[in-house]
Amino acid sequence: MNVPIEAYLMLSLGLLVLGLIGVMRRRNPLMLLLSVELMLNAGNVSLIGFSRLWDDPSGQVFALVVMVVAAAEVVIGLGLVVAIFRSRSNLDVDELSSMKG
Amino acid sequence: MATALAWIVLVLPLVSGVVLAGWPKEPPHAVTRLLGIGSILVAFGLSVAVFVGMLGNPADDRVFTSSAFEWIAIGGVSVDLSILVDPLSVLMMLIITGIGFLIHLYSAEYMEHDRDYRRFFASMNLFVFSMLLLVLAGNFFFLIVGWAFVGLASYLLIGFWYERPSAVAAAKKAFVINVIGDVGLVLAAFLVLRELGTLDYGQAFAEAGTLGADSGTVLAICLLLFVGAAAKSAQVPLHTWLPDAMEGPTPVSALIHAATMVTAGVYLIVRTHVFFDLSWLAGDIVAIVGAITLLMAATVALQQVDIKRVLAWSTVSQVGYMIMAVGLGAYASGMFMLMAHAFYKAALFLAAGIIIHALHDEQSLDRMGGLKKYLRVALFGMGTGALAMAGIPGFSGFFAKDDVLAAALNGGSIGVICWVIGMVGAFLTALYMFRLLFRAFFGPEPAGGYQPAPHPSRWWMSVPVVILGVLSIVGGWLQTPFGWTGMSEWLEPVIGQSTGLLEPTHGTEIVTIAVALVMALAGIGLAWWLFGADPERRIRLAQKAAGPRRVMREGWEFDRAYDDLFVDPSREVAEVMAARVEPAGPQGIITGTTALVRGAARVVSASQSGMVRAYAFWMVLGISLAGIVIALIVAGGG
Amino acid sequence: MGEKVTFAVAAIGALGFGAGVVFFKDAFRAAVSLIGALLAVALLFIALLAPFAAAVQVIVYAGAIVVMFLFVIAYLGERGEITSFDRLDRWQVVGWLGVLGLGGLGAVAVLASDFGPDSPAPATTGVGSPQAIGEAMLANHIVALQAIAVIMLIATVGAVILAKSAVQGEGGR
Repeated sequence: MNVPIEAYLMLSLGLLVLGLIGVMRRRNPLMLLLSVELMLNAGNVSLIGFSRLWDDPSGQVFALVVMVVAAAEVVIGLGLVVAIFRSRSNLDVDELSSMKG
Repeated sequence: MATALAWIVLVLPLVSGVVLAGWPKEPPHAVTRLLGIGSILVAFGLSVAVFVGMLGNPADDRVFTSSAFEWIAIGGVSVDLSILVDPLSVLMMLIITGIGFLIHLYSAEYMEHDRDYRRFFASMNLFVFSMLLLVLAGNFFFLIVGWAFVGLASYLLIGFWYERPSAVAAAKKAFVINVIGDVGLVLAAFLVLRELGTLDYGQAFAEAGTLGADSGTVLAICLLLFVGAAAKSAQVPLHTWLPDAMEGPTPVSALIHAATMVTAGVYLIVRTHVFFDLSWLAGDIVAIVGAITLLMAATVALQQVDIKRVLAWSTVSQVGYMIMAVGLGAYASGMFMLMAHAFYKAALFLAAGIIIHALHDEQSLDRMGGLKKYLRVALFGMGTGALAMAGIPGFSGFFAKDDVLAAALNGGSIGVICWVIGMVGAFLTALYMFRLLFRAFFGPEPAGGYQPAPHPSRWWMSVPVVILGVLSIVGGWLQTPFGWTGMSEWLEPVIGQSTGLLEPTHGTEIVTIAVALVMALAGIGLAWWLFGADPERRIRLAQKAAGPRRVMREGWEFDRAYDDLFVDPSREVAEVMAARVEPAGPQGIITGTTALVRGAARVVSASQSGMVRAYAFWMVLGISLAGIVIALIVAGGG
Repeated sequence: MGEKVTFAVAAIGALGFGAGVVFFKDAFRAAVSLIGALLAVALLFIALLAPFAAAVQVIVYAGAIVVMFLFVIAYLGERGEITSFDRLDRWQVVGWLGVLGLGGLGAVAVLASDFGPDSPAPATTGVGSPQAIGEAMLANHIVALQAIAVIMLIATVGAVILAKSAVQGEGGR
C-alpha cells in the first residue's frame, strides 16, 4: 500500500463535497439523484480503503450493501420523478412543496 | 330492636325520595302520594314503636348505639356509620316524622296543581331523611353530613319555584348563610378531633371533662358550635335568610322553616350540652344572643304585611326563646318548647296556607279581612296557634314559655335579664299574633270583596290543621308547673339530673305565671284595641310613627347593613379584579401562553418549507456542527 | 509505483468526471459523466485490491443504474432547468456554510487522525476475493444481508406501484 490511506480519504472527501454542491445547486431532480450517487461512491471509496488498510473484508461487504441501497433508491427516486414530472413542463424539486408546514 | 327500627326509619324516606326522583316520567299523583306520604307514615309508625319500646325500658337503659360499618379509618381516627338512639333523638324522630307526615298529607292537596308534584315530594322526602340523619347521627361526622344535607334540601325547596327570581335569590341566600354555619360546625368538629382524638359522641362527651372547665378550648368549641346553631336556627346576626325563605311553598315553610330545621340549632346545643356545661361564658353568650333575637324579631313581626313573613319573624323570635333557654342550661325546657313550637307553628303555617290557597296566592294582610265566615278550619288552626303562642293558660305555648322563663328567673343575673326580655317578648308575641288574627279573620272584607269567594279546603288540608290545632292545645300537658315533669324525666338519660340551680321554686313559678299572663292579656287587649275594635284606628295611628315602623318593617336594616358591609365591597373588589387584575394576571398568562405557542409554531413552521433542498441544507449544517463539536471534544479529551 | 500512478489517474478521473456530473447543464451529459466517475472509482477499487467490488461497481452502477437514468432522461425529454427565481434565496448562504464546514472538518479530521496500523497488510492477501467476501457476508453480516434483501423487495414493490399509477394516469391499464 504505497499510497497513504489519507490520500484515499481526501479523495473521498472531495467526491462527497462535489456531490453536496450538486445537491445544493441543481434544481433538476434527476441531477439531484446523480449527485447523491456521487456521494454514495465517495463513501464506498472510504470503506474499501479501510478494508485494505485493516485487511478485513467487512468494508467490502458494506460497500456492496451501499450499492444495493443505492440501486433501490434510484429505482424509487426515478419512479417518483417519472410519476410526478411526466405531466409538468419544468423539472424543479422546489415545486414539490405541497407537504410544507 | 330499637336501633334496627331506627335504621329503617332513617332509610325509608331516602328510598322513597330516590324512587320518586328516579321515576322515568311524572308518575300519577296516586303513586306520588303513596310513596311520598306513605313512607313518612310508616316511618312515623316505626318511630312510635321505638318510643313505646323505649318506654318499656328502665330509665338507665334507654341509650343505644348501632354501627353499620366503619366508614373512614385514617391514622388513629375511625368514623363509623353509626346512629345513636336515645330519648333525645327519639323525641326528635317523633317530631320530624309525625309533623312531617301531617305536612306531607297537607301538601298532597296544596301542591296538586303544580306541575312538579313528584319533585316536590322527592325533595320533601330528602329533607326528612336529612333531618333524621342529623338527629340520629352517632358522631360529629354524620351530624355534619346530615346538617349539610338539610341545608341542601332547604335550598332545593326554597327555590322550588325556580322561575321566580326572588325564590332563587332567597334559596341562594339561605344556602350561603347555612354554609357559614356549616363552616363553624366543621371547625368545631376539627377542634374536638384535635383535642379529644375522636368524633364519636360517646367518647367525646365522656372525655370532655379533661379539657378543663372554662378553658379557652371549650369556649372555642362551644362558640363554633353556636355559629352552626345560629345559622340553622336563624339567630342574630345570621337570621336574615329565614324571612326570605318564605318564597318556598307554604308546606315547606311549615315543615322546614318552622317545625323542624330551624330547631336543629337547639337540638345541637342540647346534644353537645356537655361542652356548654363546661363553659358558663359560652352559655351566657348563647342566652344573650337568643334574648336579643327574640326581642328584635318580635318587633319586626309587628310590622310585616305578608302573612307568611309575620309567621317567619315569629319563628325567629320563638327559636330565640329556645336558644335562650338552652343557653341558660334549661335543656329540657328548651326541648319542651321546641316540641310545643313545632305543633303550634306548624298549625299556624298550615292555616296560613289554607288562606293563601283559598285566596289564590294572595299573601298580603292588606287584602284580607273577615275571613272567619269562609275558612272555619283555618280559623281553628290560626286561633289555637295564636292562643298557644300568646301563652294563654291551658295551651301548649303557655306551659313551654312558662317553663323557659321560670328557669331563666333562677339563672342568675343574666337569667333575670333574659326573663325581663322574655316577658317583653311575650307581650309583643301576643300583640303581633292577634294583630294577624284580627286583621285576617275579623274586621271588614277588603274593598270589593273576594273575587271569587274563598273556597274552603278539602280533607287533605283540613285534617292536618285540625290535628295540629288539637296538639297545640294538649301538647303542653307533658310538663306542667307543680305537676308533671314528663319532658325532664324523659330526657334525663341524655342531659342528666337537673343541677338544681335551674329547678324553679314555687315562688318563681307563681311570679312567672302571673307576669306572663298579664303580658299576654295586655298584648291581646292592645291588639283588640288597635286592630279588632276599630279597623280605622291603626291607619290613623300609623302616620304618627312612620320612622320606627319603617325600620321595623325592614327587619332593622340587617339586609342593608350586610349589603353595605359585605356585598358592595365584594362587588367592588370583584369589579376591580375583573377590570384590572384578571386581564393581566390569569387571563394574561393564558393568552401569553397561547401567543408564545403560536409564535413558536410560526417560527418552526417557516422551517417546514417543503423544499427538499432546504432540508438538505439544514441537514448538512447540522452534520457539520455536530462534527465540529465532536472534533472539539476529541481534541480536548485527547 | 504502479499504485501511485493508478491512484493519480483514478483520482483525477473521479474528481473531473464528478465535477462534470455537478456542473453540466445537460442531464444527459451529466449522466454520461457519472459513468466516467464510476469507472474511475472502480479503478481505485482495483488499486485497493478489491476486484470483486470493482466488478460489481461496473456491472451494477455503470451498467444498470446509470442506464436507468438514461432511460428516464430520454423518456422525459429535453426540459429546460428553471434558473429564474430561487426560492431558497438567502438561505443558500446557510447551505454553503454547511458545505464549507463539512469540507473543512473532513480535511482536518483526515489530516489530524491516526488511522490503524502503520504498516498495512501485504498486497498478497486474498481479502478482496469473492470467497472472502462471501464468507464475511454469510458468517458475520447475515443480518445486513437479510436487511438489503428486504429493502430490495420493498423497492421492487414500490417501483411497480409507481409505474402502474403512472401508466393508468395516461389511460393504460
